[in-house]
Amino acid sequence: MDANVLNGEMILVMAMIGLAVFLFIVEWIRVDVVAILMMVSLPLLKLVTPTEAFIGLSSNAVVSIIAVIIIGAGLDKTGLINKLVGPIVRLAGESPSRILVAISLAIAPISSFMQNIGAAALFLPAIQRISRALKIPISRLLMPIGFSAILGGTLTLVGSSPLILLNDLIIPFQLEPFGLFSVTPIGMGLVASGILCFVLFGRFILPQGTQEDDFAEEKLDADEGGLLPEVGDAYELRTPHDFTHYREPIRVEDLRRRYLVNIVATTEPPDYKLFSPPMDTVIRSDSDLLVFGREKDIKRMADNEEIIIKQEMEAFKDDAADHASGTVEAVVRPRSPIEGKTLKQISLRDRFQVAPLAIYREGEIYRAEIGDLPLRVGDAIVLHGTWKRLQVLQAEGSLLFTTPVDVETMRPEKATFAGLWLAVALMMILVFKIQLSVCLMTGALGMVITRVLSIDEAYQAVDWRTVFLLAGLIPLGIATEKTGTAAWIAQTVLATIGTVKPIVLLAVIGVLTSAFTLVISNVGATVLLVPLVVNMALAANTDPRMAALVVGIAASNSFILPTHQVNAFYMGPGRYRSTDFLKAGGLISIVFIIVMIGMISLFYGV
Amino acid sequence: MAIITVSRGSYSKGKEVAEKVAERLGYQCLSRDVILEASGLYHIPEIKLVKAIHDAPSVLERIRGGKRGYIAYYKSALAGLVQKDNIVYHGLAGHLLLKGVPHVIKVRIIADLEDRVRNEMRQEGISEQAARSMILKDDQERRKWTMSLYGADPWDSSLYDLVIHIQRFTVSNAVDFVCRTAGMDQFRTTRESQQKMDDLALASRVKAALIGLNADVDVISEYGNVLVFAGTDDRLARKIRGKIGSLISDIDGINNIEVHAGAPSE
Repeated sequence: MDANVLNGEMILVMAMIGLAVFLFIVEWIRVDVVAILMMVSLPLLKLVTPTEAFIGLSSNAVVSIIAVIIIGAGLDKTGLINKLVGPIVRLAGESPSRILVAISLAIAPISSFMQNIGAAALFLPAIQRISRALKIPISRLLMPIGFSAILGGTLTLVGSSPLILLNDLIIPFQLEPFGLFSVTPIGMGLVASGILCFVLFGRFILPQGTQEDDFAEEKLDADEGGLLPEVGDAYELRTPHDFTHYREPIRVEDLRRRYLVNIVATTEPPDYKLFSPPMDTVIRSDSDLLVFGREKDIKRMADNEEIIIKQEMEAFKDDAADHASGTVEAVVRPRSPIEGKTLKQISLRDRFQVAPLAIYREGEIYRAEIGDLPLRVGDAIVLHGTWKRLQVLQAEGSLLFTTPVDVETMRPEKATFAGLWLAVALMMILVFKIQLSVCLMTGALGMVITRVLSIDEAYQAVDWRTVFLLAGLIPLGIATEKTGTAAWIAQTVLATIGTVKPIVLLAVIGVLTSAFTLVISNVGATVLLVPLVVNMALAANTDPRMAALVVGIAASNSFILPTHQVNAFYMGPGRYRSTDFLKAGGLISIVFIIVMIGMISLFYGV
Repeated sequence: MAIITVSRGSYSKGKEVAEKVAERLGYQCLSRDVILEASGLYHIPEIKLVKAIHDAPSVLERIRGGKRGYIAYYKSALAGLVQKDNIVYHGLAGHLLLKGVPHVIKVRIIADLEDRVRNEMRQEGISEQAARSMILKDDQERRKWTMSLYGADPWDSSLYDLVIHIQRFTVSNAVDFVCRTAGMDQFRTTRESQQKMDDLALASRVKAALIGLNADVDVISEYGNVLVFAGTDDRLARKIRGKIGSLISDIDGINNIEVHAGAPSE
């Protein structure tokens, strides 16, 4: 490694790193595809051997993450975590600060054993319920809790992808691997400081739900069905017998465009009911309409089109009842197959027979032409339909429902088994000191065998994008190290900046990682930076393990932009704008680095 | 009960036809009035408007989109004037600016080139060659204008309901044809078609109000539900969302307004 001279191979490796970073930023192709591109092109360029190219797939990290995802899915399936949420909320009482602290403290450890985004998704419905019931603007809860989920990822070595990767990345340096709880003190410091920031400065850094919002929440409260004021209410109308005379046929679509009302059911003579009628259904004379809309829009339609508003529900009395149908908010989950597509393209209405009423995005509500809006992660779609059909949609899995509609597919009776196997896995790690991936896979296997979830459900839960992102970038790390590129860069950088104190070096590494993680994803940042910083630390007489640890932890310092999955996901339901993240995330990011360095020097004495 | 737009070249007698049709049907005849209206509504010197809407945009203007603003003002003024119905309009691009309204009858009057050349010679006292090149240049200019702003060739007869060649037909024949067309059922103003006209006027007004933001947006309206399409630029959409409230505060008839990314589906 010494006497490093820049050679052709190193230049080639740096070019590949440059290419990867470039592609990460411009996103012409998805990040996991970039990783696969690296996996394939590095052996072709003879920068790594074919075995090394694919070694990532069998790495501890990848196997661990697969097992963690399956365990998380199992916990989710049994509703074990939902059961924990109830008592926590009761303990917290009604003070917004206490609720915030309680939920944050609950989500952090859960997030340390499942994917952060999984924990975030799990808590969303509960948080929305609390916000409605206690009239606390959702924007004051969601961001702090989302941040806690991300910070919770630093509590254990399996909490986030960067930390899972860490031991694999330091293998070539023959450094002692980290234990499951090596990071816990630092993580605890980070979670505590994050929560403290929001309790102390929440009112300055969080959007303060306007008066109007608060009023809206009140109205919501009056209706247990959870209707949203912007969407309006259900009305029954009847067309007169001369409705179709002397005029162009009026279709469901026309009424929607003209008056922003949603026809969710019609009757066809003699007494057939058509639910979620296709948009091109022609409205007939003498038929009853079940319509969702704001009062003023409904009135405008009735006046203009000469339709009669009934005083109360008649034909659809049973169908509009709370037990039969309802309105729910469903969020486009990260990596959902419908991301980027429009509701029309996925024919949501025809396939599932539910009516989309409105879409919330970045604090805006969209009611007109929502069928043509390309969907983004975090978009909250307000849907109306019968519970049965909503359940079918939920089972399809591309949307995350914030109102529980699917009770049957849950397996609460398996909660004990799920808890047991998690305990077994932890025991194996802590007591018997068996390798992480083996222990976690045992836990996952146990859940499948005891039928907490079926093996097919387990396969479905695995997120291949994460798997290939991790596995594909590992050879890039190997190439950087093997060709001496990492050492060369490290020496060059150190030669430029001169000798620095270890603590300063670690702080610089922390800032550098935080910057990288915002633009090239946490995994990308970790893979590229770990070989580099280990070399730098070796050359600067700093503990190389600590340098690697700083990278692994700081890779979770992703709060300033809504690029982290959890932040992107909470954006729609929380009605946040990018600037909201800039404000609150800016503070948390700075505190993060200070606390991280402080805790490392305290516990590891750097 | 209709709106008649008459598109014409120089010396094609279109103006004469338009005025006579208006007289016979008892409609109001509009031409320059639109410029006056636009100049009054949006406080722009008349001369600037005339120049902007008559000449084809220069390369620089095409890049800056400077003319679009004036066109938006003009369209807003035109739509506002014809909204009340029973109008004959002979002026620029009526058939393009009022597209999509069922009770708009789009008429084009053309004249034989040789006749036009003779008229030009007489009027300006110039040689035949000079007159011919003048007329051809003028036609070319109009063509460039509509092509660059609307992507439509004014000589494409499918843009019109009626194209009348004044040569063997006389002006009074043409007036007969147009008046008879105006009496036909399919051009009668109905509640729905008037709604379309009102929506077009509303959308034009909103678009004109947004010109100050220097944004090339598409605006559509249906029954007072206005949609502003900001194209692919997310930042622009946010900027519009932030400022739209104050810009449209004095526009009546908006039931709901939203700013979307992308472009209208049609």
